[in-house]
Amino acid sequence: MSASSDSIELYADDPEWADIEPVRQYENPNPLAPIFYTEEYRDATDYFRGVVKKGDMSPRVLDLTEKIIRLNPAHYSAWQYRYKVLLALKSPLDLELRLMDELAVKFLKTYQVWHHRRLLISHPQLSSSKSSSFYLTAELRFIAKCLVVDSKNYHTWSYRQWLLSNFFSGGERGKEEEEVWKKEMEWIEQMIEEDVRNNSVWHHRFFVVFQSGIRVGDEDREVVRRREIDFAKDKISLAPSNPSAWNYLRGVLDNNNLPYSDLSIFVRPYAQARSPDAEADEVIDLENPSPSKGAQLPCVPAIEFLADVYESGKSRDDIEKAAQLWKSLANEYDTIRKKYWEYRIKEALEVLPA
Amino acid sequence: MVAPRPAPVDAYPTDTSDTQAETEETLLKHIPDPNSSTNPPPTLQKNVHLQFLVRNLLQGFPSRYISQDASQPWLLFWTIQSFSILQAGLDPNNKQRAIDTIMEWQHPDGGFGGGPGQAPHLLPTYAAISALAIVGRPGPGGGWDQIDREKLYKFFLSLKQPDGSFLVMDHGEVDVRGIYCLLVTASLLDLLTPELVEGTPAFIASCQTYEGGFASASQPYFSASPDSEREGASTLLSSPRPPLGEAHGGYTFCALASWVMLLPFLPPSNAPTINTKTLLRWLTNMQGTEIELGGFKGRTNKLVDGCYSWWVGGAFALLESIGVGGPRHGHEPEAEHAREPHHGDDEGWDDVDDVLFNRKALQEYILYAGQHPAGGLRDKPPKAADAYHTLYCLCGLSSAQHHLVISPARRQAIYDVWKSEPSSSEGDIRKKVFAESLSWVEEEGAAKFVGGTNNRVNATHPIFNLTITHTEGIMSHFYKQTVPPRVVSKKA
Ligand SMILES: [Zn+2]
Repeated sequence: MSASSDSIELYADDPEWADIEPVRQYENPNPLAPIFYTEEYRDATDYFRGVVKKGDMSPRVLDLTEKIIRLNPAHYSAWQYRYKVLLALKSPLDLELRLMDELAVKFLKTYQVWHHRRLLISHPQLSSSKSSSFYLTAELRFIAKCLVVDSKNYHTWSYRQWLLSNFFSGGERGKEEEEVWKKEMEWIEQMIEEDVRNNSVWHHRFFVVFQSGIRVGDEDREVVRRREIDFAKDKISLAPSNPSAWNYLRGVLDNNNLPYSDLSIFVRPYAQARSPDAEADEVIDLENPSPSKGAQLPCVPAIEFLADVYESGKSRDDIEKAAQLWKSLANEYDTIRKKYWEYRIKEALEVLPA
Repeated sequence: MVAPRPAPVDAYPTDTSDTQAETEETLLKHIPDPNSSTNPPPTLQKNVHLQFLVRNLLQGFPSRYISQDASQPWLLFWTIQSFSILQAGLDPNNKQRAIDTIMEWQHPDGGFGGGPGQAPHLLPTYAAISALAIVGRPGPGGGWDQIDREKLYKFFLSLKQPDGSFLVMDHGEVDVRGIYCLLVTASLLDLLTPELVEGTPAFIASCQTYEGGFASASQPYFSASPDSEREGASTLLSSPRPPLGEAHGGYTFCALASWVMLLPFLPPSNAPTINTKTLLRWLTNMQGTEIELGGFKGRTNKLVDGCYSWWVGGAFALLESIGVGGPRHGHEPEAEHAREPHHGDDEGWDDVDDVLFNRKALQEYILYAGQHPAGGLRDKPPKAADAYHTLYCLCGLSSAQHHLVISPARRQAIYDVWKSEPSSSEGDIRKKVFAESLSWVEEEGAAKFVGGTNNRVNATHPIFNLTITHTEGIMSHFYKQTVPPRVVSKKA
């Protein structure tokens, strides 16, 4: 291990850093659960502690913190100090953002790379500049690129949602805002097309349509609701056991206080075994797409949904029908959740008059 | 017995269903053949795991852990809390080394950093304080009295945001993990005040997504308010207030535990609410099916992973404590119907159980798939073990073995011996925080051990993830109270 250290440039050997006193990590010579550091990492962090102690804000600190970040992108203190130095030096933050393009792709899973971008893009130097639109749309493109590599990355998605709600929901950007949200919907369709089970995209759609303000063209909420319900139905018909699409459908109904019973006609065929002569009496109903040819029926989310429809009927007869469906889930179709389905039965029966 | 069914693909494969199918194939190899009668019962390899933990603690962590150099308090907490769960403790010499190590992480400005000289941050602060709850003690050199609580409180306040949330550090991000860490620390150290958490319950509530679970944070919208007292002051809008990111197991645990800790601070009217119905549905849906050995996922359409045994599995006890599922409300849990001792057979397992997830299956996931043969526990096979997954698999196992509930009798007993400080105007709320935190008890006769009692691990506090003994120890110290001894009421 130490043989390779000849080729590593250490701050300890660099005359440019001679004025900084490196600070060893532990005063206590015998810490518990120590990490075996490489010489390169130990050297860089010793000098970092020295820099922090001295309060050094010179340009060389940008090199030092970049080095530490490349060795350990989760070193939040290095990121924080780097940001302070950038501000102190009035560094051009667009250049920093381009460096982040490289680091974000390299360390996609690290929170800090996304948070640092957020600090940069919300700094007035970028966000209030004449080119702010350019930076912001470049961000959206960059995020989309990262999601091609890692399509469910939590930090990437929440960064996108933050960006959209922070900069494009206030109406200050007029026509440009309209354009961004329109493109967003198109991009979402494309992402769902690629993987209809990618729950992150479904969540993003919900965020765009229902939770971040009302888009131009979406003022008629009744039309929007119908559009979203139709969208969910359509995707359910492709792959009926996909919980993402069902959760979205439920979300739309709950969010708008719509009764589940509105969907009974649609849901019924999904909650039953396919009848052998289904082909013969197939009637094309555009509003209620049938399960695809390859669908494995009945599917659990449809049985659950139908039981919820019955439960909302509230009569003894309805509750008993719901209980029958829950029983079939508990004992046959979704046995791992037996306790939960039995709980649903118990809860529903409890509200019935004796 | 039928072979477990793969998740339906509906003849419509995508990337998600492909990775799901691969995982099922791997996990299937870890399910013992149900038709073989010679299967030994699954065993928790306690000694092998202890060796793994001792190696990390005493010899240190290998170089690949440089990526966690800013999480040194976590590495220590994961390791020594794993010891606690495995019913082991440190010798006095190593305890002292642990205390001395932890105290080097305290920052001169208050709070703890991820290592010596690192900036104070809510996450390492939580891990350091929790570790001190396990190994620390009062008096000189014991750690507890060397915590600078005044500066810590100021550090907390400096992070407070107008929407009730907190940054994790200066120039840091907002997320519910940070809030959980702050609330646990403040609860343990008697620093929880109405001033500190004003607006925080509403923030937590706003992180719940349409799926029922919680996201990392939410985005505040403000409007300039003409009737505001201060010129130009803006008002936080109740809508839109979108969650940022989808429902996620880790954030859901932190949000729900935060919610429970904040209950004593809810305003008497117009209090924010969370939707427990969709939350319960989402939590139960995170449990994988038989082919996934009943492990938990962290998000819809993602893969099972051992750490969610705690983040999701552990959330059920919290949900029960706010009245969803579990023993019928109003009854003293110990006084519930008599329970038969469990012998490990399948029959009779379900009949005596109030818990809304499949405890048996979760234990099987951890025992069959979670254990690495070379020691330590893991996300899933064929991955390596690590310190993080070792703890969260073990405490997930603990939450599936033991059934912890809030006991009104215990709460009353604590109230009865409460010593109030006449000078304090916030006595009532302190008393409430103290008593609520410490009235968790293990429901008598409700423990279940897949593979037999040799696999028993210790119970852990559903909110703090410390043993009840450690929780009582540190809280009594900081609240200057004595808690009545816990009497284990044996059933006739
Ligand atoms: Zn994990």
